[in-house]
Amino acid sequence: MSIEISNVTKTFDSFQALKDINLTINTGELVALLGPSGSGKTTLLRIIAGLETPDQGNIIFDGEDNTEKSAQDRKVGFVFQHYALFKHMTVFENIAFGLKVRPSKHRPSKEAIQQKVQELLSLVKMEELAKRYPAQLSGGQRQRIALARALAVEPRVLLLDEPFGALDAKVRKDLRRWLRKLHDEYPITSVFVTHDQEEALDVADRIVILNQGKIEQIGTPEEVYDNPVNPFVYHFLGNFNLFHGRVHNGKVELGSLKLDVPEHAGTKNKEIVSFFRPHDIDISLEAGGRDDIEAEILFIRAVGPIVNLELKRLENGDYIEAEISKEVYRKLDLKEKQKVYVKPRDFKVFIPEDYVI
Amino acid sequence: MNSIGKPFRLKHKSVIPGFGITMGFSLLYLSLLVLIPISMVFLNSSSMGLKTFWEAVSTERVLASLQVSFTTSFLAASVNVFFGVLFAWVLERYSFPGRRIIDGLIDLPFALPTAVAGISLTTLYAENGWIGRLFAPLGIKISYTPLGITLALIFISFPFVVRTVQPVLQSIDLEAEEAAACLGATRFQTFYKIIVPTLLPAIITGFALAFARALGEYGSVVFISGNMPMQTEITPLLIRTKLEQYDYAGGTAIAAVMLVISFLMLLFINLTQWWASSRDKA
Amino acid sequence: MAGSTHGRIIQDNQKKLNHSSGRNSSKAVEILLIGAVLFVFIIILIIPLISVFLKAFEQGAGVYIASITDRIALKAVRLTLITMGFAVVINTAFGLTVAWAVAKFKFKGKNLLVTFIDLPFAISPVVAGLIFVLLFSTTHGVTAPLLNAWGIKIIFAPPGIILATIFVTLPFVARELIPLMEAQGTAEEEAALTLGASGWKTFWFITLPNIKWALLYGVVLTVARAAGEFGAVSVVSGHIRGLTNTLPLHVEILYNEYKFSAAFAVASLLTIIAILNLVIKNISEWKINKQENT
Repeated sequence: MSIEISNVTKTFDSFQALKDINLTINTGELVALLGPSGSGKTTLLRIIAGLETPDQGNIIFDGEDNTEKSAQDRKVGFVFQHYALFKHMTVFENIAFGLKVRPSKHRPSKEAIQQKVQELLSLVKMEELAKRYPAQLSGGQRQRIALARALAVEPRVLLLDEPFGALDAKVRKDLRRWLRKLHDEYPITSVFVTHDQEEALDVADRIVILNQGKIEQIGTPEEVYDNPVNPFVYHFLGNFNLFHGRVHNGKVELGSLKLDVPEHAGTKNKEIVSFFRPHDIDISLEAGGRDDIEAEILFIRAVGPIVNLELKRLENGDYIEAEISKEVYRKLDLKEKQKVYVKPRDFKVFIPEDYVI
Repeated sequence: MNSIGKPFRLKHKSVIPGFGITMGFSLLYLSLLVLIPISMVFLNSSSMGLKTFWEAVSTERVLASLQVSFTTSFLAASVNVFFGVLFAWVLERYSFPGRRIIDGLIDLPFALPTAVAGISLTTLYAENGWIGRLFAPLGIKISYTPLGITLALIFISFPFVVRTVQPVLQSIDLEAEEAAACLGATRFQTFYKIIVPTLLPAIITGFALAFARALGEYGSVVFISGNMPMQTEITPLLIRTKLEQYDYAGGTAIAAVMLVISFLMLLFINLTQWWASSRDKA
Repeated sequence: MAGSTHGRIIQDNQKKLNHSSGRNSSKAVEILLIGAVLFVFIIILIIPLISVFLKAFEQGAGVYIASITDRIALKAVRLTLITMGFAVVINTAFGLTVAWAVAKFKFKGKNLLVTFIDLPFAISPVVAGLIFVLLFSTTHGVTAPLLNAWGIKIIFAPPGIILATIFVTLPFVARELIPLMEAQGTAEEEAALTLGASGWKTFWFITLPNIKWALLYGVVLTVARAAGEFGAVSVVSGHIRGLTNTLPLHVEILYNEYKFSAAFAVASLLTIIAILNLVIKNISEWKINKQENT
């Protein structure tokens, strides 16, 4: 089922949570709503579910306007951040709840409910725990029961609010993979909320980046990571280095460093900020040309396959973070306090007047 | 900037159903059973005219009853502050056999009908009662004196301070006490300078609740006080007596005074709690 | 139970504290304070409690049984039970609805509403009785012309006793439910709604099981107070023997007639209700704690 969100606005007291949101989610997609806390992502998810009412705008499922429909009638599966499992019911009763509360006309037989719950229990690999109460389960198990409970009513949309937020790192990673697999096997449109960029990049087909109630960018993980449209998105998706400088006639000046920026060919003498990722940095021991930056190594952390370097740009004292492979590190035989030459392989230039971080 | 044009709403929209009907029923019920009946007192008093009203509430007998009520209630609530902090402290900080039983029985005065407490205490503290006869040789009379009233009021308002102080004592950060100890404070200094200020809002709330309850108490006092006008007659009893003598106007006027006192106490308690919660937030 | 574990942690810390300031003197203070508590506890609470039963049996079991099976005593029991029934049913319905409105929704004026619920606790029982006299007395009440025209008697009759009792027991259920339901939030209800449950089914299958112990305790408090209310009922009752006397009023009459053993015998029935009340209170607190900490 496709979901169309059109012109949605929502205000709580004096706080504007969402400002004129437009977004279309296609049938069968797995979409992440990514943003810092207070960005409005959970509000948007709850509006899709019918748990909040938008002040303005419409929610359209498969071309049918659902804005006025109550949460009961929308038939979406919702997985709550803290699971909201029914404490006084066993795992089995939790999963069966959505089927048992149907009006008697539409209620499946006892046997059918039994079978459906068994099916879901095996899907989430918890057959043995049917008689347990939520309090007797681990966080990861509760999460899977919450998912099975949401799936029991065969929703065509699955909404997950910070599905892995409360879990420890190891369980998170397992469940992430498992959710991806489940989504691929189940004919369902899924939307999940997260503040963890790694999670979004790892699992989602498309990522919607929200900030202060507005959508900053929509795209595949590759698109948003490689081509962030503004400093906020760049900022939010991973580590970065930032230089201030000027752009003039297609050339960026960052102190003594001059780089070609053909996309700003028409710009005359403007202040800019320039971003580059720590892993997009070449390091050499000898000066290679005019686009090198002279720097001193302050600190080396060489645990694991990636070596993290902290450098100081000699010209103006700016800090630079770099990530290089262990081979390069060994070949260059880098030491702390050593002087090296740094060159960004790939960088982005933004004119700050256009954006406010 | 975005508050312009925002519609004024009495209630936030919510998906949870049933607000209209539950709220409607609640308001109707409260109006019929609480607000309208209580307003009767003020309605009747105001129709009396200020002069008659003043004459009704300023007689010597009324003033004497107010004095008895206030003194004994104040004494009882003060004693209960002391007992309450002691009990809360011992129950929260020490473990000893019987602790759970004491904790479970603290609320007995709330559960026990006041008339039962009244006859039991009166019998015990009468001159020939089990406890009263210990005091009689010393020339101390308890039942049928203000001392007896105070005693009954101590009993019926006993749980308030314990129950308001206990949860606060439970949630006190022990690290603050340990820090004080590390800084060289003695146990007594720690108690006086760290714990008492933290407990203060709860103590004041407990005192006010106990005092308010004691002021209004009737059932237990009516037995133990002896009900001597000008000496051991409390205000609620005087209202009762006026009604029995069909002096409805007089009784209502005194009731109006008591209601105003009750509202002031309620306001005071709410303000104390508001003060405590805003203090803890900061 | 969480409370006792907590207590134990405090206990451990206590020992650490004691190290820093001399263990012996602390131990002495501890024993002194515990001793003081035991003394006050026995004098103030236990002796009055036990003396009720001792006095009740002072003239033997025969008098005790005769006192509580007396015709007028049984009539008082009956009126007390009827009054209790009304108070419990009506105030439970009110408690549940008002708690739902207050705890599950945000709206302006909530604090004022909660204060109104507390009003019956704040005012003197005698005044509580008086307000119904002012409303429904056939001689002085505002509705007197109507009542006289229709031949309805409320004051000095069972309806007045029931009304006054409903008034003084009004806050109990609501006061037990509101904080618990506020703490529980709305997540489980929202989950039930997204699973297609209707509002009524959500309340019945999700909310009610979560509050059942607090509800039970609220009902028990209502029962105890309804059985034991004296001041308010005394004002509206008129003390007509066998007709408008509840158990506590019956106790008063017996006592004033110097039938002490009989008075204490009837009082012992009320005391048993009070003790049951405390037992159920402790069980339900333990259950709520267990439930909320999982």
